[in-house]
Amino acid sequence: MVLLSTARWLRSRLTDRFWRKQEVLKYARHFRGRKNRCYKLAVRSVRRAFVRSTKARREKKRFLRALWITRIEAASLEHGLKYPAFISNLVKSQVELNRKVLADLAIYEPKTFKSLAALAQRRRQEGFLAALGDGKEPEGIFSRIVHHY
Amino acid sequence: VARTSLSSPPWPEVPKLPDPVEEAKYHAAEVVQKVNGMISAGQYGRLFAVVHFASKQWKITSEDLIMMDNVLEAECGDRIRLEKVLLVGADDFTLIGRPLLGKDLVRVEATVIEKTESWPKINMRFWKRHNYQRKTIIRNPQTVLRINTIEIYPCLS
Repeated sequence: MVLLSTARWLRSRLTDRFWRKQEVLKYARHFRGRKNRCYKLAVRSVRRAFVRSTKARREKKRFLRALWITRIEAASLEHGLKYPAFISNLVKSQVELNRKVLADLAIYEPKTFKSLAALAQRRRQEGFLAALGDGKEPEGIFSRIVHHY
Repeated sequence: VARTSLSSPPWPEVPKLPDPVEEAKYHAAEVVQKVNGMISAGQYGRLFAVVHFASKQWKITSEDLIMMDNVLEAECGDRIRLEKVLLVGADDFTLIGRPLLGKDLVRVEATVIEKTESWPKINMRFWKRHNYQRKTIIRNPQTVLRINTIEIYPCLS
């Protein structure tokens, strides 16, 4: 027989409720408290965990860059240079190494880092000499430096 | 002259740097020849290199694995030469490129090992009290390279 609508005693019942809940609970198994067992509490915690992980992926880049900068600063201070002087002089010497690699060299290749620090120091002094020029004062300027003749 | 606050300029005293002509002669004669001799005699152990590849800089040695987060147009098992070497170093000497080293100086060979996808990363956006949540699962293509060899040739000048 062809019927226009189904009979009322034929219901479609959810049979895989267990597995649908397991899909969420599997991400909550390492949480603390009841939210690793109870679905209603786990749903909220898992949602917050996912949102936090997406945001953290963007902040990880900032965090790692700050870490590299700290490490390079520490290593360059061991060689008597401050971080801004080190980086700016390396860039002026056309050495395009990024902070990740500089931090790795500072940890695992100390001799190479020492040579880079020496290069930056030499370029810094060349910059000072170029800025000072002749060492003479410009004409017509009354300088406060005292000269004893 | 008595040392007062105005008897000398406020900037620090710069030590006298060696003469550039003499320094270039010393560099060409002693340093370059010594390093060339060491390279041609093979007196270096394990070499490491800093390579610019896939918009990232890597510090690599031989026999190590590199994973890039994108697709490489090469089949598995292809030998690839990584140009754009920024720095090469051994135990006693380092060659620093400004910014790159010459292609006739360094040769870095790598093999493509596998091309897979990353683990499924979950992107979730959620605004509270607005009934808005979106979940996407992202799988990035990845390529794994094995660095076979790093070779240097004594062509310094």
